[in-house]
Amino acid sequence: MTQSPPRPRPRDDGEATTPPPFAVTPEVDGDTAVDREPAPGRLHPLRRDGDLLLTGRAEFLDDIALPGLLHAAVLRSPHAHARVLRVDATAARQARGVRAVLAPEDADAQAAPLPAFFEPSIVGGKTSTFRILAGTKVTYVGEAVAAVAAETLADAEAALELIEVEYEVLPAVVDAEDALAPGAPLVFGEWGDNLLAVFPFAEGDAAAAVAAAPHRLSGELHTQRHHTAPMETRGYIASWDRAGRLTFWGSTQNPHPLRTNLSTVLGLPEDRIRVIATRLGGGFGHKFNGYAEEPLVCLLARAAGGPVKWVETRADALLVGAREFSHRFTVGYDDTGRILGIQDRVVGNIGALGSWGGWSMTFPAGMTFPGPYKVADYDIQSHAVVTNKAPWNGARGYGKETACLALERMVDLIAAERGLDPADVRRVNFIPEDEFPFWTAAKHLDSGNYAGALDKVLALSDYRGLRARQERARAGGRLFGIGLAFELTPEGGDFAGSFVRGYDTSTVRVYPSGAVTVLTGVTSPGTGNETSIAHLVASELGIPSEQVSVVQGDTDTCPYGFGNFTSRSLATGGAAAVLAAREIRDRMSGAAAALLDCAADDLRFADGNVTCVTVPTSSLSFAEVAETVYRRGLAAPGLDQPLLEVTRVDLPHNFHHVPDEQGRFSAYPSYPYSAHVAVVEVDAETGVVDLFEFHAVDDCGNVVSPRFVEGQLYGAISMGIGGALWEHQPYTTDGQPVATQFKHYLTPRAGDLPAIRLDSQHTPSPFTLLGTKGAGESGVGGGLAACVNAVNDALAPLGATAHHLPLNPPNVLAAIDAATNPGGAR
Amino acid sequence: MTIQETPSPPSLPEEVEEVPGREITLTVNGRPRRVRIEDRQLLVEVVRGQLGLIGTKVGCYNGDCGACTLQVDGEIRKSCLVLAASADGAELTTIEGVGGPDGALDEIQQAFWDNDAFQCGFCLPGHLFATRDLLDADDDPSEQDVRDALVGNLCRCTGYVNLVKAALDAAQRRRTTGTADRRSIEEEGPRPADACTLHRGPRP
Repeated sequence: MTQSPPRPRPRDDGEATTPPPFAVTPEVDGDTAVDREPAPGRLHPLRRDGDLLLTGRAEFLDDIALPGLLHAAVLRSPHAHARVLRVDATAARQARGVRAVLAPEDADAQAAPLPAFFEPSIVGGKTSTFRILAGTKVTYVGEAVAAVAAETLADAEAALELIEVEYEVLPAVVDAEDALAPGAPLVFGEWGDNLLAVFPFAEGDAAAAVAAAPHRLSGELHTQRHHTAPMETRGYIASWDRAGRLTFWGSTQNPHPLRTNLSTVLGLPEDRIRVIATRLGGGFGHKFNGYAEEPLVCLLARAAGGPVKWVETRADALLVGAREFSHRFTVGYDDTGRILGIQDRVVGNIGALGSWGGWSMTFPAGMTFPGPYKVADYDIQSHAVVTNKAPWNGARGYGKETACLALERMVDLIAAERGLDPADVRRVNFIPEDEFPFWTAAKHLDSGNYAGALDKVLALSDYRGLRARQERARAGGRLFGIGLAFELTPEGGDFAGSFVRGYDTSTVRVYPSGAVTVLTGVTSPGTGNETSIAHLVASELGIPSEQVSVVQGDTDTCPYGFGNFTSRSLATGGAAAVLAAREIRDRMSGAAAALLDCAADDLRFADGNVTCVTVPTSSLSFAEVAETVYRRGLAAPGLDQPLLEVTRVDLPHNFHHVPDEQGRFSAYPSYPYSAHVAVVEVDAETGVVDLFEFHAVDDCGNVVSPRFVEGQLYGAISMGIGGALWEHQPYTTDGQPVATQFKHYLTPRAGDLPAIRLDSQHTPSPFTLLGTKGAGESGVGGGLAACVNAVNDALAPLGATAHHLPLNPPNVLAAIDAATNPGGAR
Repeated sequence: MTIQETPSPPSLPEEVEEVPGREITLTVNGRPRRVRIEDRQLLVEVVRGQLGLIGTKVGCYNGDCGACTLQVDGEIRKSCLVLAASADGAELTTIEGVGGPDGALDEIQQAFWDNDAFQCGFCLPGHLFATRDLLDADDDPSEQDVRDALVGNLCRCTGYVNLVKAALDAAQRRRTTGTADRRSIEEEGPRPADACTLHRGPRP
């Protein structure tokens, strides 16, 4: 998708409150020529293409109109676990409007198995072979078995009814603990059990430390299966031209890896495929590549002899799972609440493994421990367990949110048990500011001032005032709860062996007119990174942002890149674009120096001009320099470099792939963090939680676009709140998904949420080019944990503990019942 | 436990029949249009399909998310819940018809942009129309009024923070520019959103 530059618009008084445009600090980035302070009149641009979106002119996948476009529908397994004995599609082939039908054998004959988004064997996990259509066995309700392309979607769906599939139903297992029990049905028979992998993260001797601690407590915590539910579901369009070249439009976060995988599956040279990632209506991990429908539309289009579109239904989207974790933990601590040892058995119910990547969230779920805290002895064992639910795909938070929840519950439980303020217990456990960079078993933490962020959020929320209000409310018999949470969010992960990489590539190209185009390997799911990348490049070149266009997601024009995940876009693609822009500036400086007879070091790029600072009247416009290079390069003295196009990759930073002598490694380069305060009232009669205040302070280092970072936090925190209180994808015991629409899957609405209040702190990363850290996922864990802590704080007068999420009325009432009526339910 | 499913005997394809359809007349963003529709088609399918107005989005086909919101005879409707045939003769306004003919933005659209009220933008039809509906009825709404008015729409990007801010800002702009419609300020009675919002007593 090409982001068109916005039309320049006059500034008005309303702009005065706009956040500062650019916060790169000189300490970190001594090379940059951009202004350090927010310059008056040079404010951050509005979100690109806002005008198109606001007037209904922005095209998403489902808006692409191709002549003769056919529509695909997919027949999915109604059984959680069954052998597929026979698929007979004869009748469907004769149905009205039908142009192509694919049964498993048809797909197998034309396509290789699906490559995994993240192959488990890279990290020592078990694996299996996955086909586009399941022809021998289905392992979850919703697994694709056959597909139809027809002239209308209605005809395609009607034809599915005519496909006969004979199943031999097998016993299904849906609960992770059941799946681990001896004799459980095996999701993959050849494994011998249902354990994909166990990821251990340990330092010291946790068992001994816990045993020797003055105090210890144990608990269990369960988060429900819930996912991201972007407003736009997935969709793909495939079109073959007469020469046999494939064009593929995808509502996807990862166009280049998607093309590589299509090449593998279809046996087609990669350059015979063009993948175009369309504008995304939200991604959040749901639109990682690796789905069977990607090659499926290609096969259907080839068979039908015309372009084919498939758009995921909301019910299909709701199959995709995530975040179902349980924790069984013991923590040892001293009188002051200092944590001496942690043991946590983490279990992720990852559903049936597929080619989707989400199972790997069990890795950061353990790796993130012990979060912001300095704990010498801990032992975290994170288990990835397969069941007969649909597989996981990526979900913002990516398992880090469950580590945050578990740690923050432990801290609050310790505070309650010792009669200490939860803020004080956090303070005694924080990694001190002067100990960074700080090593844990699997993290090299770049920098941080955790106490500073906590203090700031306590001030923002008037924490003392809140506690006073709580006292009064409790005196009046009301269940008023205050929940703190401190979230550490590893960002920018690099997993060698997969296409989940921690670097990316950008090209900056200057045209003779002075127009600048950035082509980058990172994509935007709607976060605004295209606007920020343009702003960065414009700042380097001293031209208005409007003069810079950004092209993302087109494999024919963009450098190979890994797309959008792990909050890395600006730190990788943005940094690469800055490096490329600096090289462009150097080349143009050389030319301008010759043209102006001025030392290159004395040239200043600003306001669309290249000016000699020693002779300010000696100036050329940026466009004049560019045009002169094209017209006279190599033909005039000093114009030695005619190429105004530069591609750069940002060098990897703060990755430690090879374990050190103590076995420590670090796959993430940056560690933003955030502090949260949630305020709730619980109605003991109905179990309804009223969340009426939420405050947060984040620190993601230097910030390029403060307003977009705020937007990310608002969204991430809301997703965490949704997971804490409402969102749930339940299954029946025989493996049928229950939440098939938004009337079952309850995402927060405007009336459910308070106005989230934010403040920020900036502790630059010493490792990244711009001092930035990832922004995008921070907030999911904090929103989740702060709400859960607040509800538990509210329930404290009843002696109740609510550790089964979501904390919706049934689960809150059950928690109250368990405490107040131990004999049985009311 | 193994269950052998007995498949039903294969049914032969039905006779290939014409899908029942009709021609309807609409006024779309001020222009008269005659379109051939299938009787089974939803209004959103006709608007996006035959009329080519892709600004109206589909997020759920179930009336839950509001991305397909448009105006039918002046009332906001979720067009995935309306059969196109039932809209014969109606006047439609879609998101394409809200701003000026040259793509100029109205106060609400500009306030949304200036306040960064959206990220991916997919949910905008519902939030824009719901805001407009509110401000047409009340030129000085409270934050709670705005949240009530937006409650029929889902957004997964913004947590509604900047949407609410933008709606309040748009109301302010309308009052400043004198385009606010004061006609119903004095009118008593519930507003449409009241029915579906849980109102609580004072918080401690």
